[in-house]
Amino acid sequence: MDLTFSKEDEDFRSEFRTWLDANLPADMRTREWWRGKSAAESFQARRDWEAKKAEAGFCGIQWPTEYGGRGGSPTMKAIYDEEMAKANAPHSVNPLGMAFLGPTVMAIGTDAQKRDIIKPLLNTEVIWCQGFSEPGAGSDLAALQMKAEAQGDHYVINGQKIWTTNAMHGDKIFTLARTGSNEGSRHAGISMLLVDMHQDGVESRPLKQMTGESEFGEVFFTDALCPTTEVLGGEGNGWQTAMLLLSFERGSSAIGQYIDFRGQWDAVADIARQVDRDGRPAVKDPVLRQQLADSLIDLECLKYHSWHVLTQTSQGKDLGFEASMTKMMWSETFRKVSDAYEAVLGMGYQVPDPQPGLSLEELTTMSLWSRSCTIWGGSAQVQRSIVAERVLGLPR
Amino acid sequence: MRFQLTDEQRALQDAVRSYLRDKFGPAQVREVYETPESDGVPASLWKAIGEQGWLAVLVPEEHDGIGLGLLDAAVIARAFGAATVPGPWLGTILVGECVRLAGSAGQQAKLLPRLAAGEVKGAVALLPQGSFVGTPATAAGGLLTGNLGLVEYAGVADTLVVAAQDGLYLVDPAHATITPHESLDRTVRLATVVLDEAPGERLEASTPEVLAEILDRAAVLMANDLVGIARKALSDTVEYDKTRVQFGKPVGSFQAIKHDLADLHLGITMAEHAATYAAHAADVDAPDRHLAASIAKAKAGDMANLSTAAMIQYHGGIGYTWEHDSHFYLKRAKRLEYQYGDASQHRERIAALLLDA
Repeated sequence: MDLTFSKEDEDFRSEFRTWLDANLPADMRTREWWRGKSAAESFQARRDWEAKKAEAGFCGIQWPTEYGGRGGSPTMKAIYDEEMAKANAPHSVNPLGMAFLGPTVMAIGTDAQKRDIIKPLLNTEVIWCQGFSEPGAGSDLAALQMKAEAQGDHYVINGQKIWTTNAMHGDKIFTLARTGSNEGSRHAGISMLLVDMHQDGVESRPLKQMTGESEFGEVFFTDALCPTTEVLGGEGNGWQTAMLLLSFERGSSAIGQYIDFRGQWDAVADIARQVDRDGRPAVKDPVLRQQLADSLIDLECLKYHSWHVLTQTSQGKDLGFEASMTKMMWSETFRKVSDAYEAVLGMGYQVPDPQPGLSLEELTTMSLWSRSCTIWGGSAQVQRSIVAERVLGLPR
Repeated sequence: MRFQLTDEQRALQDAVRSYLRDKFGPAQVREVYETPESDGVPASLWKAIGEQGWLAVLVPEEHDGIGLGLLDAAVIARAFGAATVPGPWLGTILVGECVRLAGSAGQQAKLLPRLAAGEVKGAVALLPQGSFVGTPATAAGGLLTGNLGLVEYAGVADTLVVAAQDGLYLVDPAHATITPHESLDRTVRLATVVLDEAPGERLEASTPEVLAEILDRAAVLMANDLVGIARKALSDTVEYDKTRVQFGKPVGSFQAIKHDLADLHLGITMAEHAATYAAHAADVDAPDRHLAASIAKAKAGDMANLSTAAMIQYHGGIGYTWEHDSHFYLKRAKRLEYQYGDASQHRERIAALLLDA
């Protein structure tokens, strides 16, 4: 048992922290700074900041240096996640490209794809969307219907994608379409296409979420074109490519989520000291105290689990399907903290400023956002089946 | 960053597990269950515990111990929980901790080597346990009076440590009135202990801080026993539900069951992390060690409760029978859950530590 980091790792931490101190202004770390901006303005600000960070060498921490990454270890990536969260730094504008597309291209992309995709992804020149879900294919991804028909040196694509993060900002989309017959297997005849979103055949429409924001949207393909060379992993291998791509999430330690949610809990505790419940501060209510403590317990367990994941990955072990446990753990813990927040406020949850000095907009948005995290990226129920079958070995 | 047991700790874990597998399995536990009138200390088991050094882990080398940390003791506690091991191991370990942390050099030299070797058995009455609320002992001129409530293995103890208002006292059980009670969990023997002007020897360095420290250590060891129970109850249930067929399928293939088992696996994994970290935090005197102890005890108690209940439910009728081992786990979990603070009390302590500051 040794919960300290090596000197090399601590050096990296202080180097990155120094860079953040110099390059992430204090006001950019506050909600107020972002609130004054339109969705387009704030996206552009995040994009510019991330490009600057990439230029300084703080992007693609675990990516090989030959691809412009830092060539770092899983521990350095965890330190990076931790420092980003502690600094309240803007989230990546290319989350799906960085987490999924980049590593997949490095693993199985053609030389041309490696050259054309990776650098512009790292420096935010190209924003990548992921086009997997369809109206009829959510948890059951293999039910996807979008068609891509080869005509000469192009595919002609028709269909619809939904729940697409950054749909309104995307330049390109890596998307699954049926290019061949599904005879014999629902997983057959699927290809992963790399499609330019700036063309007449592609139309993005925002979807308004329950938070009021529109971080995702729908993407409609009507005779959209894509060169037949722009297939990742080869025609007809889309399912295997998608499975490989999704496997790159497995090493995530969730330490960044812990820092975010612990910050949320601390803020909720602060509010509980300020608001009243039955004639005394909410923080003195015995039932709320139990609820707050219970969510704190799970939060701290999430931190211990992130140490466990980091221990495994830094020893070169593949977590395999245990990664589903990490997703379950952070998303359910996030909901528990959000439940406690709502309970502390009571009726006050309904308004952004229940009493002078309290501004709840950010925390309320966060609590609503927690409702989505047990759905996207594999719903909590899908994750439970994976853990039961693949980790515990229960029969299908 | 290495959040895992050392090779030495894993070797210790293997040694305890393989002894229990080969020499003290469910059949031996059942013998203790079926003879509630016995002292609940199988002689061969107690001898082995002494010989293997499992009572010596926390005793310093200068007193013939091994001088390891709470995490090493936690490894043993967890394996004992998984095998529902009876006997006064914990009581003897805790008497040792009281003497190590609060005793004078003379008291240490006199008692620690004998505790480490298993030559004397110990029992502690550090605070009233559960609903059998006893009144704390009072010390007047070195004489102690009070009803200490239920004390684990008081009936076999050679020495008792009693918490009085002004410190910890060693008491000879011969001077106490000890009345055995048949415990629901028969992997233990419980007795009420009443003192009426019993002579006590004060542990010279005892302070409220030392008592608090010992209570935390006891809670962490109990948390480890509890996660051992919780994990074993889950893994037995998973194995059973892989093969038990109803409606033409193994019942473990039904989502109503497998999702609940997945949730338990997640929660138990969290509790295991917490029980491990709390022991480590005590060993390195981490700033959050008190918080960590409460997190571990609360989470482990909750998960053992859920897991042992699920064990009975997902074994169906057979899980409710006396002949099945399920009730060993449920009843032991119910006992440990309420010792050294139940989950609600530890959540309240967490609230006090973090919300009232």
